[in-house]
Amino acid sequence: MKTLQPELDALTDNALMLKVKDGDLDKLGLLFERYKKPLFGFYYHMNKDADLSEDLVQNVFYRIMKYRYLFRGEGDFKTWMFHIARNVNHDHFRKNKLNAKDSLETWQERLGTDENRSTEIQQDETMHLLSMAMDRLPEDKREILLLSKYQEKKYKEIGEILGCSEGAVKVKVFRALQELKEVYQKLEMRY
Amino acid sequence: MEKQRIDELIARYNAGLATSADQKQLEHLLEQGIIQVHQLQELTALEDQLVKLNEPVSSKNLDEQFYSMLKMEKQAMITTSAWRNFFAWPQLLPKIAIASVTLIIGLAAGYFMRSPATVKGDQQIADLSQQVSDLQEMMMLSLLEKESVTERLKAVSLTDQMDQASHKVTSALLETLNNDENVNVRLAALEALRPYIKDSQVREALVRSIAAQESPLVQVALAEVMAQSQVKSSVKELKKILQNEKTPSDVKKRVQETIEVLT
Repeated sequence: MKTLQPELDALTDNALMLKVKDGDLDKLGLLFERYKKPLFGFYYHMNKDADLSEDLVQNVFYRIMKYRYLFRGEGDFKTWMFHIARNVNHDHFRKNKLNAKDSLETWQERLGTDENRSTEIQQDETMHLLSMAMDRLPEDKREILLLSKYQEKKYKEIGEILGCSEGAVKVKVFRALQELKEVYQKLEMRY
Repeated sequence: MEKQRIDELIARYNAGLATSADQKQLEHLLEQGIIQVHQLQELTALEDQLVKLNEPVSSKNLDEQFYSMLKMEKQAMITTSAWRNFFAWPQLLPKIAIASVTLIIGLAAGYFMRSPATVKGDQQIADLSQQVSDLQEMMMLSLLEKESVTERLKAVSLTDQMDQASHKVTSALLETLNNDENVNVRLAALEALRPYIKDSQVREALVRSIAAQESPLVQVALAEVMAQSQVKSSVKELKKILQNEKTPSDVKKRVQETIEVLT
């Protein structure tokens, strides 16, 4: 990650996590500093709720801490972390019976916030429209695009998180981008 | 599919002219790894823009909550570890060993330190008891020679306070039983000898005493003692009482009953 401090980069994610596994819990603080931002971004783009996103990030690190003994160090830590992040998200919505996120009410909330944000947030129009288009995507498509963003287009790793092949991930990304493009173009015409 | 046809398909897609059939084919080619997403220019541009999408920033609450959680976990780990270490065999074994050795040393030291004192104390008590016993014995023997019946009765009763009367005492009591002029003293002597009837010498002496007694009361008392203790060797001596003409009939009757019990 570009935002990481140089001294943090001296140790790889896996090396840090293995130390956490061995009981050096302070190293989890380094991993937290490294990944709190992408994780928060992932959740925020998924649910547009900052408080909830913070709770979910906290939950991810809680699970990492509690189940640290399960980390073998064979795979990529980031992939393992996003796998947990996805489970945390699913568990949360299943627990709170909020699976109907794409209900009309939720859509209205999203659209309302979009309108407000257009004046509140200072950013260029393209990014703003793109953000709005993302919010209008179905959850599964939004999720795969965010995974692609935060996993830096490593489709093989995304396949590990989702439990499908690399080829299947590419098709999912293709379909999600296709729909994003269509939604984006519609929004472009509106604004 | 030929490379040229694939290129044409991609070109059509990038030009926005792809049909739904073209899209199906593209999906198939992507899945097979024949083409890559980045070859689809419009989508790649969109995906790149997605990467640049503004990142939301979390509040300080997230940091505070995380580090608080981490601190608690570390604390819990230290506590668990301390208890686990305390009860872990490699650590616990030496502790148990040291405790056991200390306990054994303590007990041994206590034993050896107390032992001489105890032995000495016990010896002193034993000596003292012996002295008291000797004194009682001497007193008893001395009192038996007194003229006063009361004194002699007192002497006989002193044997009750003795744990184990010596041979000298039992001999003195037998002597009293056979020769004391007072019937009450003789009866008291017989009563005092009753606990020692298991002693063969005492038993035989009592049997011999039966015929020697002139007092009917003492004779009856002796007959009862013989019956209670089942001294069968006394029958011969008891028959002598029956054969004696001077023996009162009541006494003969009691003696006869005793003989029947014993035979």
